[in-house]
Amino acid sequence: MTFTTHLDSPSRRHTLKMLGAATAAAGIASLGLAVPARVLAAGPALGMPQPDEAVADTLGRLFGERMPEAANGHITLDAPLIAENGAVVPIRIESDLPMAPDNYVKHVYTIADRNRRPMNARFTLTPEAGQLSLATNIRLATTTDVRVIAEMSDGTLWEAKQEVKVTVGGCGG
Amino acid sequence: MAAGQVRIRVPDGAKAGDVIVVRVLVTHPMEVMRLQDGKPVEQHYNFIHKMEANYNGKTVVEAETTQAVSQNPFFAFPVRVDAPGKLRILFHDTEGRTYEGEADIKF
Repeated sequence: MTFTTHLDSPSRRHTLKMLGAATAAAGIASLGLAVPARVLAAGPALGMPQPDEAVADTLGRLFGERMPEAANGHITLDAPLIAENGAVVPIRIESDLPMAPDNYVKHVYTIADRNRRPMNARFTLTPEAGQLSLATNIRLATTTDVRVIAEMSDGTLWEAKQEVKVTVGGCGG
Repeated sequence: MAAGQVRIRVPDGAKAGDVIVVRVLVTHPMEVMRLQDGKPVEQHYNFIHKMEANYNGKTVVEAETTQAVSQNPFFAFPVRVDAPGKLRILFHDTEGRTYEGEADIKF
């Protein structure tokens, strides 16, 4: 498979922005994300390819005014310092945050700052999980900070961050 | 490899109250956006947008994923087991297909 990518093509960015604006203007939004109408029928929560956006916009969209606090020691993000292949970057998330029925980690977001669309995945946990211990493989387009943000059931946000140097980009979204 | 094979690994010999880490892999292309002359070639892409894990009928962990998750997605997640039972993991892709896998957790 060959992929033709022009990561920073201005015309594409423009087209997508216009698309996104048009969709939003039509009042079609799911979870506050602008997604093409035909996909809404299937209802994927994070939708089809979304407009490119800067990480600040992603964070604003997800958390509004709430700023994540550095999770000094509460979350361990285990990612490679150098990833030779951006298409498969293993990350592991461990944490000592509580998982009691009245106070637990509700969501875990993984965000790659310099991907065209920084949002990677959102995990939703329940107290049944017992403790926070997740792993997955993500795609990174280029050398970037990877952040993991844990949202507690009371709304507190904790963030862990690590830079991953990428040798060959994974043309991820 | 056919798309949609779900492989689940659970540790042997769990005890009541243990938190076990389940590892799951699903074969799936997780198509990324292809561009030509700076424009997307197609508007529709086939990727897994949701994973759900149930233990004995109770939802334990869900994940909403984007194209920034690698081909043949792999996940590991915790489950606290109080009784032996059946772990069921479902994946949904944007073509509307559902892939599912099951594993028995024995004590």
